[in-house]
Amino acid sequence: MAETFEPLIIALCCNWCSYAGADLAGVSRSQYPPSIRVIRVMCSGMVHPNLVIDAFTQGADGVLMCGCHPGDCHYQEGNLKAEKRAEAIRLMLPDFGLEEERFRLEWVSAAEGARFAQVVREFTEQVQKLGASPYRTT
Amino acid sequence: MGVRVNEEWFSICGGCEVTILDIGEPLLDILAKIDIVHMPVLMDHKLFGQTGEKTEMEVPEADVGLISGGIRNEENRTLAKEMRKKCKTLIALGSCACSGGIPALANLSTTQEVLEKVYRGSKSTDTNGIPNQQIPPLTDRVYALSEVVPVDMKLPGCPTTPEMVAGALTALLEGKPYPLPSKSVCDECPTIREKKATGTLKRRLEAAEFTPGAPLTEMRCLMEQGILCDGPATRSGCGGSAGTPRCIRAYMPCEGCFGPLSDTANPMVDMMGALSSIGLDPKQIPDRSATFNRFAGAGRLRPAPRR
Repeated sequence: MAETFEPLIIALCCNWCSYAGADLAGVSRSQYPPSIRVIRVMCSGMVHPNLVIDAFTQGADGVLMCGCHPGDCHYQEGNLKAEKRAEAIRLMLPDFGLEEERFRLEWVSAAEGARFAQVVREFTEQVQKLGASPYRTT
Repeated sequence: MGVRVNEEWFSICGGCEVTILDIGEPLLDILAKIDIVHMPVLMDHKLFGQTGEKTEMEVPEADVGLISGGIRNEENRTLAKEMRKKCKTLIALGSCACSGGIPALANLSTTQEVLEKVYRGSKSTDTNGIPNQQIPPLTDRVYALSEVVPVDMKLPGCPTTPEMVAGALTALLEGKPYPLPSKSVCDECPTIREKKATGTLKRRLEAAEFTPGAPLTEMRCLMEQGILCDGPATRSGCGGSAGTPRCIRAYMPCEGCFGPLSDTANPMVDMMGALSSIGLDPKQIPDRSATFNRFAGAGRLRPAPRR
């Protein structure tokens, strides 16, 4: 196998900041690896740990959760809730036989298209180093 | 002749059989309509024939089969299949049969580790060999009944409630379905919820704050008081027609005995999400897998991966 491992990463982006940020990365033609599948959610605070764990147990190699910067949340404190939950998710990943580094929480504002591309580049590299998820079937 | 009933118990304490007795007066009406033909806890009906003349375990033909307890050894497995063959309707009675129950906490260790610990490693007893004569071998883990044979009806609870057993048996006699509630314990809990914890997580033995005698509608949600309550990830129904969950009625947190909301749910993830989103520290939970899968270990708990 000469070709490099192409990870599959699920990105959960909040509607108000990160999704717009991802959009900006697109319209500004920033380059980043095609490893991510963006799922738009209304707020990072609505991402229940179940969604993340389900993504992993169904074969995702990494999950990236993006929300507004602390203090910028459209719903006042949704992202703070996301931060708390991210802590719980990181704790639980080893219980499922996965590395903590497969999950990442990042703050990306609507104006940070370049930063979104940078985050995806970094995270893809990180997951690539870890290799394919043990849950992956294909 | 009434409806023929078989009852068998596997890896269980016997509490669910006591629940049948606990039905009280309605039991008299039910007993008039049923014929118990096999029930080890109640009557002397032997599996290998009354004089031990048979070579295979056998139970009589019956319309309804009740099984309490999970599958822990090969005898349980064989009998479960025999019960399935002989009973038209098979009911899993109690959480052990439904999802493994307390015995399934052993699934956190391998069977070999369990045997070593009990027969060799225990400091206070004389070490001797691991018994292997004249006893059925243990299975590789504790199984829920439905993992071994198809089950028609599940009655969870530790123990299950008399109201539920009576309701299910009556429904069965009348040929009606008996669906389980699909809501969570929190949906039936009357306490005050503000979605914010009042402090940090309390130790296991610390009591809740409440005014004795005051109605439950004046008590703050136990989880928000910092007491681990399994309500968010547990099936409701323990309160029966009264509604209010059994443990909450006694100002105690839900232990999760009715098991998770669905067969595919992961109560640990649900609970870690629930308590972190009201502001409690998920790191403080001791032994989270066992704590949140206390009654649902079959198929959910497994030995920790070696690293």
